Amino acid sequence: MHIPDGFIAPQMYLPLYGLAAGLWAYGAKRVARDLDEATLPWLASLTAASFALSFIALPLPGGTSAHVTGVGLLAASFGIWNAFMAASLVFAIQALLFGDGGVTTLPLNALAMGFAGAVAARGLFLLLRRTGLALFLAGWISLFLPAVLIALALGAQPLLVHDPAGAPLYFPFGWSVTLPALLIPHALLGLGEGALTVLGGRLIERLRLRYRHD
Amino acid sequence: MTEQQKLATYLAALFTASWLTAPVWLAGGLIVVLLLCWREAGRLLRRAVLASATFSGTVSLAYLGHAWWLSQPLPLDWLLTVNLRVGLMALLTFLFIERVNLFQALSFSRRLSFLLVLAVSQSLGLRRTLAEFRLGLQSRSPRPAGITARYRAAAHAAAWLLDRALANAHESAQAMQSRGMFR
Amino acid sequence: MIRVEGLSHRFGDKPSLLEVSFTLAAGEKAVLLGSNGSGKSTLLKILDGLIAPRDGAVFYEEQRITPDQLKHGPLRRRFRQEVALLFQNPDVLLFNPTVYEEIAFGPRQMGLSDIDERVAQWADLVGVTAFLQRPPFTLSGGEKQKVALAALLAVEPKLLLLDEPAAALDPRSSGWLVDFLADLPITLLTTTHNLGLAPELGARTLVLGEDHRLLYDGPIEPFLNDTDKLVAANLAHVHRHKHGGVEHRHWHTHDWQ
Repeated sequence: MHIPDGFIAPQMYLPLYGLAAGLWAYGAKRVARDLDEATLPWLASLTAASFALSFIALPLPGGTSAHVTGVGLLAASFGIWNAFMAASLVFAIQALLFGDGGVTTLPLNALAMGFAGAVAARGLFLLLRRTGLALFLAGWISLFLPAVLIALALGAQPLLVHDPAGAPLYFPFGWSVTLPALLIPHALLGLGEGALTVLGGRLIERLRLRYRHD
Repeated sequence: MTEQQKLATYLAALFTASWLTAPVWLAGGLIVVLLLCWREAGRLLRRAVLASATFSGTVSLAYLGHAWWLSQPLPLDWLLTVNLRVGLMALLTFLFIERVNLFQALSFSRRLSFLLVLAVSQSLGLRRTLAEFRLGLQSRSPRPAGITARYRAAAHAAAWLLDRALANAHESAQAMQSRGMFR
Repeated sequence: MIRVEGLSHRFGDKPSLLEVSFTLAAGEKAVLLGSNGSGKSTLLKILDGLIAPRDGAVFYEEQRITPDQLKHGPLRRRFRQEVALLFQNPDVLLFNPTVYEEIAFGPRQMGLSDIDERVAQWADLVGVTAFLQRPPFTLSGGEKQKVALAALLAVEPKLLLLDEPAAALDPRSSGWLVDFLADLPITLLTTTHNLGLAPELGARTLVLGEDHRLLYDGPIEPFLNDTDKLVAANLAHVHRHKHGGVEHRHWHTHDWQ
């Protein structure tokens, strides 16, 4: 979801930055806790892999293709905090090195996709006892839940900031538009991400036996 | 100006631009930044527009269409304000990317710079191989590959990437250790 | 069989190939030599219709080959069955759940009927019959390469392009590979760094220089004995070393890996 800068008001992105910063500080500690010296290279490699993942295109029925986020896969395989930190770094790299996505939208993406998506994915995965269905749903929700959150955030803009006459000054549509506009496509895209998460997750299970590192 | 100062200036400018809601100020800001771009102004503006066009364009058209449909006056003020703001902020970002070395700008934090350098350099190699997965499937397919094959190939690419991440992490950690990074 | 005219390519502004022209006849076995970065892998991908060259053209049996031409249709079917490329990293070719499925993929795509026999035959020829029910990614590098070879050969191509096939193999496996390729009644173009192995992989050599042009096209033995040409291609170097206790310097080669 590459929302450019300028659509989300500071009244929203500033508090989001505050929240995200707290989670990043905690996340850094959590990742470091299990790894000490290897933390930096580990996080860097995971970030590189997530970044590369975003270039995989999934074919969708109808001839189009969507890009993978892989957050579901990361969360199911490596846990919430690893997925969150890596995804956040990827958003930062995309915005500051490639101009892809925004700097002011960074906390929204990181919190919605990197955090909420990861939590929901990991939660479902563990709840459904790591089955194939669990992987599929984890992938699906890692795309769908963030879409809900982002639709809520965007739709709140006209309420949050408007001129004296009530006209919107940032993103113009309310929830009645953003929710259906985002949820329907993402419910469908989630199917593709779910399929990928099942296939990929199975493969990783077998590969990780080689390293016995979690 | 040091790279850190440039980064701080960029962030401050971006922040300021995000508050602006009057077209006059936004247009003024845009002109100032275009001047700062100097010779690259045309190219950077084009990149900025391209990067934001899909989203901005869709939303703008939808909003205009929505007003027209409901026989309401067209929201031209909004159109101008938001598109100027989006353009200004995108241009600031591309100017930043052009003029500032992010790796140096982050040198105030040893950890952050290492993280960035390692992540970016590894991702370049990974992306090259990723392209190979697509080519490999193409090369083996006398008929365009079915959806199952494409998903399987994508899943293998994803798993391979994450497996490589584990391998790279081990190697990088060892290399850094051997060069005396960890005291 | 395959003809290349004035092929030039670059990535951004970095040149990769410059005005390369040659012809490969059916049944020939040729070796593509060149130092790192001389454009060998790129050339193979262009020959396989995966990359569109900036200039020049590739003709397979007098049919012009570009990625666009190969998007659909009878040309695609024919070309992809008759020409196969073994990528340097065999992982990128393998994605099926078992070795059996992997080898069966190509023949199935082509609608062939005797799938079981084909798979058994090729698996046996490369020596992976024991792994038929295992997922390819659990195998070692050398075994994966054999599976990839079997999978590519199961459709019985006429031209096999190989990108550094010996690079990651241990001596026993590369010995096996040399014999295997020598016995295949198929046109071959192999790239390698390994000058010791090169003559075993083909009688003719095409050498890409560091300037990305074709430096030499002809019999391999004379090239390998010509120090000047080897140096020009950055395939030989000079450094101090000892022969029997006497230290000196002269141009020489190694089995570059």
